[in-house]
Amino acid sequence: MEKRLITLNVNGIDYELYINPKTLLVEAIRDHIGLTGTKRGCDTVSCGACTVMIDDMSVKSCSILAVQAEGKKITTVEGLEKNGELSPIQKAFLDNGSFQCGFCTPGMLMSASAFLKENEGKDVTEEEIREGIEGNICRCTGYNSIVRAIESVVKGNYKEG
Amino acid sequence: MIHDFHYLKPGTLKEALAMYADHEDCKVICGGQSLLIVMRQGMIAPEYLLDIKHLNELNYIKFDEKDGLRLGATTTHRAIEKSEVIKKYYPALVAMENKLASIQVRNWGTIGGNLAHADPAGDPAPVLIALKADIKVGSAKGERTMPLDEFFVDYFETAMEKGELVLEVHVPVTEPKTGIAYQKFNYLTNDMGIVGVAASVTLNGGNTCKDARVVLGNAGPTPRRSKKAEEFLIGKALNDDVFTEAGKIASEDCEPIADIHASEEFRRHVIGVLTKRMLKKAYQEAQGK
Amino acid sequence: MSTEIKELKFTTFKTNVKYSVINKKVHNIDGLAKVTGRATYTFDVKLPNMLYGKILRSPHPHARIVKIDASKALAMPGVMAVATGQDTPGVKQGIWRRYPELCDEQILPLEKVRYIGEPVAAVAAVTEEIAEKALELIDVEYEELTPVFQPLDAIRKDAPIIHEGVERNINVTRHIEWGDVDDAFAEAEKDGYIREDWFRTSSQHHMCMETRAAVSSYTPDGKLTVYCSTQSPYYMQALLAGVLNMREGDIRVIAHYVGGGFGGKFELDAAIFCSAVLSKKTFRPVKIVFTREEDFIASKRRTPMHYYIRTAMKKDGTFLAREVRVFTNGGAYTGMGATALYLTGFFCSFPYKWRGYRYDGYRVYTNTLPSTAMRGFGAPQAMFCSEQQIEWMCADLGLDPFEVRRKNAHTECYEVPGQAYIQSCGMTQCIDKIEQWIKSKGNLGPNRAIGVSAAGFMSGGIFNWFDTPYSFSSAVVVINYDGKVDLYVGCQDIGQGSNTTMAIICAETLGVKIEDINVYSGDTAHSPADLGAWGSRQTLMAGNAVKMAAEDAKRQLLEFAYAEMGLNIVYDLDIKDRWVHVIARPERGMKYEDLVKRAIRGKDGQRIIGRGYYTPHRKGMISPAYSYMMQAVDAEIDPETGKITLHEVMTAHDCGQPINPLGLIGQLEGAASMALGFGYLEDQPMDEGKILNPNLVDYKVIRATEMPKTDMIEIDTYEAEGPYGAKEAGEGLTNPTAAALGNAIFHALGLQMKELPITPEKIVNALKEKKEKEGK
Repeated sequence: MEKRLITLNVNGIDYELYINPKTLLVEAIRDHIGLTGTKRGCDTVSCGACTVMIDDMSVKSCSILAVQAEGKKITTVEGLEKNGELSPIQKAFLDNGSFQCGFCTPGMLMSASAFLKENEGKDVTEEEIREGIEGNICRCTGYNSIVRAIESVVKGNYKEG
Repeated sequence: MIHDFHYLKPGTLKEALAMYADHEDCKVICGGQSLLIVMRQGMIAPEYLLDIKHLNELNYIKFDEKDGLRLGATTTHRAIEKSEVIKKYYPALVAMENKLASIQVRNWGTIGGNLAHADPAGDPAPVLIALKADIKVGSAKGERTMPLDEFFVDYFETAMEKGELVLEVHVPVTEPKTGIAYQKFNYLTNDMGIVGVAASVTLNGGNTCKDARVVLGNAGPTPRRSKKAEEFLIGKALNDDVFTEAGKIASEDCEPIADIHASEEFRRHVIGVLTKRMLKKAYQEAQGK
Repeated sequence: MSTEIKELKFTTFKTNVKYSVINKKVHNIDGLAKVTGRATYTFDVKLPNMLYGKILRSPHPHARIVKIDASKALAMPGVMAVATGQDTPGVKQGIWRRYPELCDEQILPLEKVRYIGEPVAAVAAVTEEIAEKALELIDVEYEELTPVFQPLDAIRKDAPIIHEGVERNINVTRHIEWGDVDDAFAEAEKDGYIREDWFRTSSQHHMCMETRAAVSSYTPDGKLTVYCSTQSPYYMQALLAGVLNMREGDIRVIAHYVGGGFGGKFELDAAIFCSAVLSKKTFRPVKIVFTREEDFIASKRRTPMHYYIRTAMKKDGTFLAREVRVFTNGGAYTGMGATALYLTGFFCSFPYKWRGYRYDGYRVYTNTLPSTAMRGFGAPQAMFCSEQQIEWMCADLGLDPFEVRRKNAHTECYEVPGQAYIQSCGMTQCIDKIEQWIKSKGNLGPNRAIGVSAAGFMSGGIFNWFDTPYSFSSAVVVINYDGKVDLYVGCQDIGQGSNTTMAIICAETLGVKIEDINVYSGDTAHSPADLGAWGSRQTLMAGNAVKMAAEDAKRQLLEFAYAEMGLNIVYDLDIKDRWVHVIARPERGMKYEDLVKRAIRGKDGQRIIGRGYYTPHRKGMISPAYSYMMQAVDAEIDPETGKITLHEVMTAHDCGQPINPLGLIGQLEGAASMALGFGYLEDQPMDEGKILNPNLVDYKVIRATEMPKTDMIEIDTYEAEGPYGAKEAGEGLTNPTAAALGNAIFHALGLQMKELPITPEKIVNALKEKKEKEGK
């Protein structure tokens, strides 16, 4: 087994890693780069706690080899805020109490962000919002406050600028 | 724990096929949405892992009004789900993809990887078989094509030989007056089906059945057509009683296995119900055309 | 599906103009950390020189440990230590410390294993991978013993004995009785109605998003620091002291952020214990994080129960008596099962007045995963049985189920004979509201109905089985020169928002803004002892302590204002919105910030320190106060496949004065999702003691696409026992849901479902049976 030298672009910054190719993206992010916002909650690609964005698409970083993410734009929860200003979805989560223990929250925010990016300027139904976060388990909130937060961003309550 | 492996990253498809032929104990990874789970459980521990995820040559959706639809093997589920042309001509595929796993899995997992994994509970196979799809596989030695319902051999086993990988899925143009419907039965909407049924109905003028496909998911070691149900339907004037009877036939023409989620008896029961319903839905869609 | 999500309305909450902070929508004070990825859980903790631990687990449900040979593992490069029970003082520990016979668990056992998955050894290595590989090199010789898996088998005379000296494997018994039960039944036999039913409830798992995790660091000065995912740092500190023969004061437990608890994380678990033992051996920090599979098979679960209820009522629906007998599957160790056994028996009488009531509960050891507390603590099981039976009896007699419930419901200032003093009680109003709501829904169509369930729950328990010498809750308020307030509490925020609730109470009492409060919790180095987050105790108990501490600090502050302002003795002062003022003449006063500066100078430069504490005294057998509710579940069933679609959950709820409304809604919705899962999705089927679905593919939990609309009507009551009239919310809300779902199925399809979870297959089979019966 040969280690590989790869560069991962995370939240706009290039990180050089020298890793065993079996390293999962979530391990690269958490253990090698040191961004612990992204979590892990299962071994079966079920819970979504490890969700990050690759090229603005939500993916589960526990089921992607880090080597496969080279050359792509990776965004983690740490990358949602800009210069201390929270993103609209983060503000909406705070306003709606859309979290409790918070362990699923980073992954949930990434799924929500990807959903919002994909549906920018479009009308969405409640059902579509629920489908948008279907891949993320939350054991605490019962989801409805999360759906409300996403809805309020869609409605334009958090226009940036 | 995932065992160590040597990582192979070919630049082109040709290189990939050559590498695959050259390495003995070698597995192919594309999206890895199924593969990494089994590797983590230690069930598979290949010496070499050949990564084809990045091969753009295999990433395409092509539609031609005569030839039909061609999906490159590394096309993601999400791309299929979002494709306007697939929505127009093969809406059953879009509907199926929408309920497959989660958005995250669909963003990265691929149609080729899904079919190669050969999970009898997989969603795409029954729908593609109902659509009369065929599949092209290739190796360093050449390519071959076969009907998709001949591609699956056993639990997690395909008809591919050593060195072959999935290249393309081809879905022919749907015959006029054809309807297709798929539904899986599960506890959570995007779970794999405890059982699933895809049905297609092609009508003669009026309401007699010219052709039919009844494809059962997770009702045996592979996705399977109930040829008995299909034969029963062809030539008949279609109505609720016929659909119910076809469901009964299908429910006995399969080998579902009991597990903690459902007994064998219940699976057969649900197959009967779903077959009846999907036939009716396909029939109504065919009538509308 | 509607395109608009209903805008969150608070009109159902009584807008209390009296309060500045209480019952106002505020941001959770830990929110910023949680939505930005800054919150560090035990899962994230990394210490210098840290090792990784893994646990070797028994493959047998019942076996003697003959020999453990770890020599090959120790020889593996990178392995630093292996620990077995022989490396520990071998203390049999348990959380019911007052009752040594219930302290039955050596987390690393010395002699015997009693369930598949029980730890037998632990390894510490420089990487997780090496630790895992090392497990395979530990040789354990077992002498297999005959196992027994079901409580009704384990109590037989010829059953294998699981704990030496415990006859018939009967771990705990409980008896609750009042009134003349037999007399009441005799009366009913003459001209009343009696019904008896048997039920069976399932094994649900907490399935916290953060699995069990701990990082322990033992240093050469004999001190231990433990980061762990726990509901009670104080309990962990005290229990670790007991099992390691250390002084509590030499142990520091830190739990800044906890990824869920739900009742499963206030006992000592193997992640904490094994990491501590390994750290003691290596003098390096050791981190153990359970995999999801380990969490499912080796962290204690909800108590499965066999339930027998016999109920007598008059033909007009007046309840006469009830007789209840329960066998619970205790699994291999007691855990918190003794409390669940008691509470299920008590809450099976809730929320109704019974002339006679008799409960006998038996908790039986089996060779399965031990069962313990889980949100609801025995009450969801009780309500599933009780509320369905009541609905069936009403149907049998042709009575209106709302009338019957109203007729028998608890009322204010009622004494449950010998058990509980009910003070505030909004049960009748809850029934009225739900009845109105259902009427407004009209006809729902075929195979669809609304089912209801009443319920109530305790606001913390009065029991001290833990044998703590400390107040149950304590708080310290420190006012700094700039007016910022440091609030030190021992209550633990596990997501339910207790940090925010305590900040709200403190801010309201002191008369300042919530931004003025810093909350310090989750660290025994600065948190006063508190029993922690379980039994829905914190809002009432810790809230009372915080209120007392804040009042103490305020009083000290106001002394200086009185001195300065020279008021007529009939005038008194208060602080509101940072304005210290004469209550009768609010325009007269001074700024809070100015008073603080004077007060600190007046105290010789000392900050103002207020102390508060709370322990329930003479509050009955269970709790100082009880929440009440009625919940309605609108469910539709596909009669051909048995699949359930959940449309809506509406709850009329009495938690006294709501303190943190966003938190309250979160509790309602979260409880509903968990309780619905209990009703129709979640279970841990076993084969010969082996859990068959220890992963999130096969263990099904509700996702956003299944979750129905939820809404709540708050009933306005005031509870004298609670801070500002507040009672519990969050645990009680898991109690009625499975019962309400069952009742929906009863009204939609005429089925009486007596087993949890209510799966599609069970519904289809029940429909078939019903059809066959009707055909005869």
